[in-house]
Amino acid sequence: MIEWSTTAPAVGSAFLASVVEIVEAFTIILAVATLRGWRPAVLGTAAALTVLATIVLALGPVLDLVPLHALQLVIGVLLLLFGIGWLRKAALRMAGVIPLHDEEAIFAAETAQLGEEARRRKTSLDWIAGITAFKAVLLEGLEVVFIVIAVGAGRGLLWPASLGALAACALVLLVGAVVHRPLSRVPENTLKFGVGVMLSAFGVFWTGEGLGVEWPGADFALFVFAALFLGTGLLAATLARTSVRKAAQ
Amino acid sequence: MTILRDVLAELISMFVGDALLTATVLVVVGFAAALIDLGSVTPLVGGGVLLVGCLVVLASAVARAARRQ
Repeated sequence: MIEWSTTAPAVGSAFLASVVEIVEAFTIILAVATLRGWRPAVLGTAAALTVLATIVLALGPVLDLVPLHALQLVIGVLLLLFGIGWLRKAALRMAGVIPLHDEEAIFAAETAQLGEEARRRKTSLDWIAGITAFKAVLLEGLEVVFIVIAVGAGRGLLWPASLGALAACALVLLVGAVVHRPLSRVPENTLKFGVGVMLSAFGVFWTGEGLGVEWPGADFALFVFAALFLGTGLLAATLARTSVRKAAQ
Repeated sequence: MTILRDVLAELISMFVGDALLTATVLVVVGFAAALIDLGSVTPLVGGGVLLVGCLVVLASAVARAARRQ
């Protein structure tokens, strides 16, 4: 039976991570569509989504063959590396140490670069545009695929996590197609902070279980870990902001 | 080939964006595993070391990057 205490964080993490990544990919898809129309943008996006879905479908059954403790340990360590990395970057952006993602600026740069590349290579602009959309969705989607597999594989939640990611993908692409401009108002760094917190919590949880730890409260320990990572991340961001301000004075 | 190279670079950067952060996380996991497997501590104590170690790694990685800035 699927427990909501594990399902909700897994699906939520997959959904929020997908929102962040697809917003970034959408900026490039939109640059492609603005320059060459929606056909190459949609074809490139669909091709990349097919590759990503194939990766999930191919890896799912393979992961079922790996012993559970070994799977939890490997995925847990990878989640720790990935999650703490995201959290570190989000805390540094929150503190103003590194700049926030600027979707408007990325859109302008991508549009200019796409036009320049077409002129330089003298190839069909539709082809270059399609490949650009394909690459953007593939590269941003790889992180989503990892998150879906990582939060889903340990407890047989691959399908719910995949559906969470797909729902986010459909939502962002739909909203983006309607508003027809970069989704710069999405609080990307806040979402990234939240996903980093959840992935780090999952990382400690799976790694511990892989090492034979039986966490008190079972799945509810995830929420305690998440609260601790959230508190530490916010505290680290506050201290970093103070230190940067002091250095600037 | 460019796409494959980019995919590979993306996969590496996902887990080794900051080499020192990666190394310290691996050290913490290794230390917790050694405590549980070789030491006389209960798995739960090893789990506590893992949790606290990861929180310290996060805080120190942010502080280090801020200092560098």
